[in-house]
Amino acid sequence: MSSRARSRIAGVISVFGELLITAGVLLGLFVVYSLWWTNVLADREASRQSERMRDGWAEGGAGGPGALDTKDGIGFLHVPAMGDDEVLVKKGTEPKDLNDGIAGYYTKPIKSALPWNAKGNFTLAAHRDGHGAKFHNIHKIKEGDPIVFETRDTWYVYKVYETLPETSKYNVNVLKPVPEQSGKTEAGRYITLTTCTPVFTSNYRYIVWGELVREVKVDRDRTKPAELR
Amino acid sequence: MYGWIWRRLPGNAWVRAVISLVLILAVVYVLFQYVFPWAEPLLPFGDVTVDGASAGAGAGREEGAAR
Repeated sequence: MSSRARSRIAGVISVFGELLITAGVLLGLFVVYSLWWTNVLADREASRQSERMRDGWAEGGAGGPGALDTKDGIGFLHVPAMGDDEVLVKKGTEPKDLNDGIAGYYTKPIKSALPWNAKGNFTLAAHRDGHGAKFHNIHKIKEGDPIVFETRDTWYVYKVYETLPETSKYNVNVLKPVPEQSGKTEAGRYITLTTCTPVFTSNYRYIVWGELVREVKVDRDRTKPAELR
Repeated sequence: MYGWIWRRLPGNAWVRAVISLVLILAVVYVLFQYVFPWAEPLLPFGDVTVDGASAGAGAGREEGAAR
Protein backbone atom coordinates (compact mmCIF):
# COMPACT_ATOMS: atom_id res chain seq x y z
CA MET A 1 0.00 0.00 0.00
CA SER A 2 1.42 3.37 -0.96
CA SER A 3 2.00 5.90 1.79
CA ARG A 4 -0.39 8.23 -0.03
CA ALA A 5 -3.27 5.74 0.19
CA ARG A 6 -2.42 5.03 3.81
CA SER A 7 -2.55 8.71 4.78
CA ARG A 8 -5.85 9.03 2.95
CA ILE A 9 -7.36 6.21 5.04
CA ALA A 10 -5.94 7.76 8.19
CA GLY A 11 -7.52 11.05 7.24
CA VAL A 12 -10.97 9.51 6.76
CA ILE A 13 -10.74 7.71 10.10
CA SER A 14 -9.68 10.85 11.91
CA VAL A 15 -12.57 12.88 10.44
CA PHE A 16 -14.96 10.10 11.48
CA GLY A 17 -13.55 10.18 15.01
CA GLU A 18 -13.90 13.93 15.19
CA LEU A 19 -17.52 13.67 14.06
CA LEU A 20 -18.22 11.17 16.84
CA ILE A 21 -16.65 13.47 19.42
CA THR A 22 -18.68 16.36 18.03
CA ALA A 23 -21.90 14.35 18.34
CA GLY A 24 -21.05 13.54 21.96
CA VAL A 25 -20.38 17.17 22.80
CA LEU A 26 -23.63 18.17 21.08
CA LEU A 27 -25.66 15.72 23.18
CA GLY A 28 -23.92 16.93 26.32
CA LEU A 29 -24.75 20.52 25.45
CA PHE A 30 -28.37 19.56 24.88
CA VAL A 31 -28.55 18.10 28.38
CA VAL A 32 -27.08 21.33 29.77
CA TYR A 33 -29.65 23.27 27.78
CA SER A 34 -32.59 21.12 28.90
CA LEU A 35 -31.80 20.82 32.58
CA TRP A 36 -30.15 24.17 33.27
CA TRP A 37 -30.59 26.86 30.67
CA THR A 38 -34.37 26.39 30.23
CA ASN A 39 -34.69 26.73 34.02
CA VAL A 40 -32.76 30.00 33.97
CA LEU A 41 -35.00 31.41 31.23
CA ALA A 42 -38.23 30.09 32.75
CA ASP A 43 -37.49 31.29 36.28
CA ARG A 44 -36.67 34.73 34.93
CA GLU A 45 -39.90 34.86 32.94
CA ALA A 46 -42.01 33.43 35.78
CA SER A 47 -40.76 35.92 38.34
CA ARG A 48 -41.36 38.76 35.89
CA GLN A 49 -44.94 37.61 35.33
CA SER A 50 -45.52 36.94 39.04
CA GLU A 51 -44.34 40.40 39.91
CA ARG A 52 -46.66 41.90 37.34
CA MET A 53 -49.62 40.05 38.80
CA ARG A 54 -48.78 41.00 42.37
CA ASP A 55 -48.47 44.61 41.24
CA GLY A 56 -51.87 44.31 39.60
CA TRP A 57 -53.33 42.92 42.83
CA ALA A 58 -51.76 45.71 44.86
CA GLU A 59 -53.38 48.30 42.62
CA GLY A 60 -56.73 46.77 43.44
CA GLY A 61 -57.56 45.37 40.03
CA ALA A 62 -60.94 45.67 38.39
CA GLY A 63 -62.82 43.89 41.18
CA GLY A 64 -65.50 41.25 40.85
CA PRO A 65 -64.98 37.52 40.67
CA GLY A 66 -64.70 37.46 36.87
CA ALA A 67 -61.66 39.69 37.01
CA LEU A 68 -59.76 37.03 38.96
CA ASP A 69 -59.13 35.06 35.78
CA THR A 70 -56.85 37.42 33.92
CA LYS A 71 -54.36 37.04 31.13
CA ASP A 72 -51.61 37.46 33.72
CA GLY A 73 -52.82 34.44 35.64
CA ILE A 74 -55.31 33.47 38.32
CA GLY A 75 -53.10 33.06 41.37
CA PHE A 76 -50.24 31.23 43.02
CA LEU A 77 -49.87 27.62 44.05
CA HIS A 78 -48.03 26.92 47.30
CA VAL A 79 -46.99 23.36 48.08
CA PRO A 80 -44.75 23.32 51.18
CA ALA A 81 -43.81 19.68 50.51
CA MET A 82 -42.23 20.71 47.20
CA GLY A 83 -40.36 23.69 48.62
CA ASP A 84 -40.95 27.33 49.43
CA ASP A 85 -41.41 28.39 45.82
CA GLU A 86 -44.73 29.80 44.72
CA VAL A 87 -45.93 28.76 41.29
CA LEU A 88 -47.83 31.15 39.08
CA VAL A 89 -50.97 29.54 37.64
CA LYS A 90 -52.32 30.54 34.25
CA LYS A 91 -54.87 29.26 31.77
CA GLY A 92 -53.88 26.47 29.42
CA THR A 93 -51.38 23.63 29.31
CA GLU A 94 -49.74 24.35 25.96
CA PRO A 95 -45.95 23.97 26.04
CA LYS A 96 -45.46 27.61 25.12
CA ASP A 97 -47.29 28.55 28.35
CA LEU A 98 -45.77 25.93 30.62
CA ASN A 99 -42.30 26.73 29.29
CA ASP A 100 -42.49 30.10 31.03
CA GLY A 101 -42.03 28.33 34.37
CA ILE A 102 -45.65 28.36 35.40
CA ALA A 103 -48.37 25.81 36.07
CA GLY A 104 -51.36 25.75 33.74
CA TYR A 105 -54.92 24.65 34.35
CA TYR A 106 -56.42 22.31 31.79
CA THR A 107 -58.76 23.61 29.11
CA LYS A 108 -58.73 20.28 27.27
CA PRO A 109 -59.33 17.34 27.07
CA ILE A 110 -61.38 17.92 30.24
CA LYS A 111 -61.93 21.51 31.25
CA SER A 112 -60.71 22.35 34.71
CA ALA A 113 -62.95 23.86 37.33
CA LEU A 114 -61.63 26.91 39.14
CA PRO A 115 -61.10 27.05 42.90
CA TRP A 116 -63.99 29.44 43.47
CA ASN A 117 -66.48 27.19 41.63
CA ALA A 118 -69.02 25.49 43.89
CA LYS A 119 -68.03 22.01 42.66
CA GLY A 120 -65.41 20.57 40.38
CA ASN A 121 -61.83 19.55 39.89
CA PHE A 122 -59.10 22.18 39.62
CA THR A 123 -56.58 20.39 37.36
CA LEU A 124 -53.03 21.62 36.87
CA ALA A 125 -49.94 20.64 34.90
CA ALA A 126 -46.33 21.84 35.16
CA HIS A 127 -42.88 20.68 34.14
CA ARG A 128 -40.99 18.07 36.15
CA ASP A 129 -37.60 19.03 34.68
CA GLY A 130 -36.43 21.99 32.69
CA HIS A 131 -38.46 25.10 32.01
CA GLY A 132 -38.62 25.97 35.68
CA ALA A 133 -39.26 22.38 36.83
CA LYS A 134 -42.04 23.63 39.08
CA PHE A 135 -43.36 20.15 39.93
CA HIS A 136 -39.91 18.58 40.21
CA ASN A 137 -40.45 17.44 43.80
CA ILE A 138 -43.98 16.13 43.31
CA HIS A 139 -42.86 12.74 44.70
CA LYS A 140 -42.25 14.39 48.08
CA ILE A 141 -45.94 15.17 48.50
CA LYS A 142 -47.56 12.73 50.93
CA GLU A 143 -51.14 12.12 51.94
CA GLY A 144 -52.28 14.78 54.38
CA ASP A 145 -49.93 17.47 53.05
CA PRO A 146 -51.45 20.87 52.38
CA ILE A 147 -51.72 22.49 48.96
CA VAL A 148 -52.64 26.15 49.13
CA PHE A 149 -53.89 28.19 46.21
CA GLU A 150 -53.67 31.94 46.61
CA THR A 151 -55.85 34.35 44.68
CA ARG A 152 -56.19 38.08 45.11
CA ASP A 153 -58.85 37.73 47.79
CA THR A 154 -58.77 34.18 49.09
CA TRP A 155 -56.48 31.37 50.26
CA TYR A 156 -57.91 28.01 49.18
CA VAL A 157 -56.47 25.34 51.45
CA TYR A 158 -56.52 21.81 50.07
CA LYS A 159 -55.37 18.59 51.69
CA VAL A 160 -53.80 15.78 49.70
CA TYR A 161 -55.79 12.55 50.05
CA GLU A 162 -54.37 10.36 47.28
CA THR A 163 -51.37 10.08 44.97
CA LEU A 164 -50.88 7.99 41.84
CA PRO A 165 -47.13 7.63 41.20
CA GLU A 166 -47.50 6.19 37.71
CA THR A 167 -50.26 6.21 35.14
CA SER A 168 -50.57 6.28 31.38
CA LYS A 169 -50.32 9.61 29.63
CA TYR A 170 -53.65 8.74 27.98
CA ASN A 171 -55.42 8.41 31.32
CA VAL A 172 -57.57 11.54 31.14
CA ASN A 173 -59.94 10.11 33.77
CA VAL A 174 -57.72 11.61 36.45
CA LEU A 175 -59.00 15.03 35.35
CA LYS A 176 -62.71 14.23 35.74
CA PRO A 177 -64.81 16.57 37.90
CA VAL A 178 -65.18 13.61 40.26
CA PRO A 179 -61.86 11.75 39.98
CA GLU A 180 -63.19 8.27 40.62
CA GLN A 181 -59.76 6.71 40.38
CA SER A 182 -58.79 8.58 43.55
CA GLY A 183 -61.62 6.86 45.40
CA LYS A 184 -64.11 9.73 45.35
CA THR A 185 -67.69 9.11 44.26
CA GLU A 186 -69.36 12.43 45.06
CA ALA A 187 -68.94 15.87 43.61
CA GLY A 188 -66.69 18.08 45.65
CA ARG A 189 -64.00 20.70 45.36
CA TYR A 190 -60.90 18.85 44.29
CA ILE A 191 -57.44 19.77 43.04
CA THR A 192 -55.33 17.57 40.74
CA LEU A 193 -51.63 18.06 40.01
CA THR A 194 -50.19 16.28 36.98
CA THR A 195 -46.63 16.06 35.69
CA CYS A 196 -44.38 13.55 33.99
CA THR A 197 -42.52 10.69 35.61
CA PRO A 198 -39.95 9.14 36.04
CA VAL A 199 -37.74 12.19 36.48
CA PHE A 200 -36.04 13.36 33.26
CA THR A 201 -38.44 11.42 31.03
CA SER A 202 -42.09 11.52 30.02
CA ASN A 203 -43.00 7.85 29.90
CA TYR A 204 -45.77 8.13 32.49
CA ARG A 205 -47.70 10.71 34.47
CA TYR A 206 -47.59 11.39 38.21
CA ILE A 207 -50.87 12.46 39.80
CA VAL A 208 -51.64 14.07 43.16
CA TRP A 209 -55.22 14.65 44.33
CA GLY A 210 -56.37 17.00 47.05
CA GLU A 211 -59.66 18.15 48.50
CA LEU A 212 -60.66 21.61 49.71
CA VAL A 213 -60.53 21.89 53.47
CA ARG A 214 -61.29 25.55 54.01
CA GLU A 215 -61.10 29.02 52.55
CA VAL A 216 -59.40 31.92 54.26
CA LYS A 217 -60.06 35.51 53.26
CA VAL A 218 -56.91 37.46 52.45
CA ASP A 219 -56.35 40.16 55.04
CA ARG A 220 -54.65 43.49 54.58
CA ASP A 221 -51.16 42.11 55.30
CA ARG A 222 -51.72 38.97 53.21
CA THR A 223 -51.07 36.91 56.36
CA LYS A 224 -50.37 33.36 55.23
CA PRO A 225 -52.64 30.56 56.46
CA ALA A 226 -51.20 28.31 59.17
CA GLU A 227 -50.28 25.63 56.61
CA LEU A 228 -47.68 27.92 55.02
CA ARG A 229 -46.10 29.22 58.22
CA MET B 1 -11.50 18.33 10.23
CA TYR B 2 -10.63 20.49 13.22
CA GLY B 3 -6.95 20.34 12.21
CA TRP B 4 -7.98 21.62 8.80
CA ILE B 5 -9.80 24.59 10.37
CA TRP B 6 -6.90 25.28 12.72
CA ARG B 7 -4.39 25.39 9.86
CA ARG B 8 -6.54 27.89 7.98
CA LEU B 9 -6.90 30.34 10.87
CA PRO B 10 -4.56 33.34 10.57
CA GLY B 11 -1.93 34.44 13.05
CA ASN B 12 0.20 32.59 15.56
CA ALA B 13 -1.00 29.96 18.02
CA TRP B 14 -2.40 32.52 20.51
CA VAL B 15 -4.39 34.38 17.90
CA ARG B 16 -5.70 31.08 16.55
CA ALA B 17 -6.70 29.98 20.04
CA VAL B 18 -8.65 33.19 20.63
CA ILE B 19 -10.39 32.93 17.26
CA SER B 20 -11.23 29.27 18.00
CA LEU B 21 -12.76 30.24 21.31
CA VAL B 22 -14.89 32.91 19.65
CA LEU B 23 -16.02 30.41 17.03
CA ILE B 24 -16.92 27.84 19.70
CA LEU B 25 -18.92 30.42 21.67
CA ALA B 26 -20.72 31.46 18.47
CA VAL B 27 -21.67 27.83 17.79
CA VAL B 28 -22.91 27.34 21.37
CA TYR B 29 -24.96 30.54 21.10
CA VAL B 30 -26.61 29.41 17.87
CA LEU B 31 -27.33 26.00 19.42
CA PHE B 32 -28.91 27.41 22.61
CA GLN B 33 -30.76 30.19 20.88
CA TYR B 34 -32.08 28.48 17.77
CA VAL B 35 -31.27 24.80 17.33
CA PHE B 36 -32.18 23.36 20.76
CA PRO B 37 -35.45 25.31 21.13
CA TRP B 38 -36.41 23.97 17.72
CA ALA B 39 -35.37 20.39 18.48
CA GLU B 40 -36.84 20.16 21.98
CA PRO B 41 -40.55 19.82 21.13
CA LEU B 42 -39.66 17.08 18.65
CA LEU B 43 -38.16 14.98 21.44
CA PRO B 44 -40.38 13.21 23.98
CA PHE B 45 -38.81 14.51 27.20
CA GLY B 46 -41.04 17.42 28.15
CA ASP B 47 -44.61 16.14 27.95
CA VAL B 48 -46.33 16.67 31.25
CA THR B 49 -50.05 16.64 30.51
CA VAL B 50 -52.50 13.79 30.29
CA ASP B 51 -54.15 13.84 26.95
CA GLY B 52 -56.34 11.23 25.31
CA ALA B 53 -55.73 12.34 21.74
CA SER B 54 -51.97 12.70 21.64
CA ALA B 55 -48.86 12.21 23.66
CA GLY B 56 -48.59 15.84 24.66
CA ALA B 57 -50.30 19.16 24.47
CA GLY B 58 -47.98 20.67 21.91
CA ALA B 59 -48.94 21.55 18.37
CA GLY B 60 -45.80 19.88 17.08
CA ARG B 61 -46.54 16.69 18.94
CA GLU B 62 -50.13 16.66 17.79
CA GLU B 63 -48.89 16.70 14.22
CA GLY B 64 -46.62 13.84 15.17
CA ALA B 65 -49.54 11.84 16.52
CA ALA B 66 -51.59 12.54 13.43
CA ARG B 67 -49.00 11.08 11.12
